[in-house]
Amino acid sequence: MAQEFDVEFIEREDRKARFLVRGLTPALANGFRRAMIADVPTFSIDTVRFTENSSVMFDEMIALRLGLVPLTTPLDDFEIGDAVTVALDVEGPATAYSGDIETSDALVVPADENVPIIELKEGQRLEFEADAVLDRGKEHAKHQGGVSVGFRHLQAVEVVDDVGEFDDQEPQILRGVIETPDGEVVLTDEFDNDLTNRYPGKELDVTDVPGAYVFHVETDGSLSVDELVLRAAEELGSRADELHDAVTV
Amino acid sequence: MMIPVRCFTCGKVIGEHYEEFEERSQRGEDPAAVLDDLGVDRHCCRRMMVSHTDLVDVVAPYQ
Repeated sequence: MAQEFDVEFIEREDRKARFLVRGLTPALANGFRRAMIADVPTFSIDTVRFTENSSVMFDEMIALRLGLVPLTTPLDDFEIGDAVTVALDVEGPATAYSGDIETSDALVVPADENVPIIELKEGQRLEFEADAVLDRGKEHAKHQGGVSVGFRHLQAVEVVDDVGEFDDQEPQILRGVIETPDGEVVLTDEFDNDLTNRYPGKELDVTDVPGAYVFHVETDGSLSVDELVLRAAEELGSRADELHDAVTV
Repeated sequence: MMIPVRCFTCGKVIGEHYEEFEERSQRGEDPAAVLDDLGVDRHCCRRMMVSHTDLVDVVAPYQ
């Protein structure tokens, strides 16, 4: 299936994007969504060796919180299973933040610096060494790079008729992205998700555009949106190849 | 105890915004406006912030 897809960006930021893809089947769109969530690997703290923990939380609770802190993941330089050592040493009274975590590799650092790990009181101390491991989202949810990844149909809006002069017009709420009669692609946020704001006094017909899907992608900061989307496509392709090789004799 | 690192439902990192949210809403700003400003848009993430109580100070003496 060597086929070109038509991709159009509606919103594009570093960690958040919305884009329209034409020429997809529902199965392929969902495969792509799942690849973004479960198949693109990210670094996450896995094994923690505590030297001292006199905080109010148990070791396990702190280890769980550490696992959820996103770490930047340069996928070109690492392979699945690679580990990077990280360490932290904070003495109270202070709050240990994700930014206090020191790593052995300058490429792998906490993506957000201000995530509080634990608040330490006078005389309390947290010191540990840990391994951050590169793995996929299907292994553990902490390795998911994509957050709230989803897609929905592009919806075409057509003006059918004028509303009768004395008829009341009810709000027509719609979410997502619409295609106007002149082929313009508009986010419903722009008219407060109510079609009657954009087409007052008109009777409208809304239909799903076949094969056109609007993806909403957010990342936790470990990868940029571009990287996540491209890697997911690559990952999906390589798995299809794997299946192809396994089936052909 | 401490604010969870991520939203339970969607997985967005919300821990980093809690201190600013708490401080600004204590100062009298409208909490909804503060959350909008911090980029915490979905209601699953908003409830994490709104319904959280820090219990570290309560537990600390019993260590």
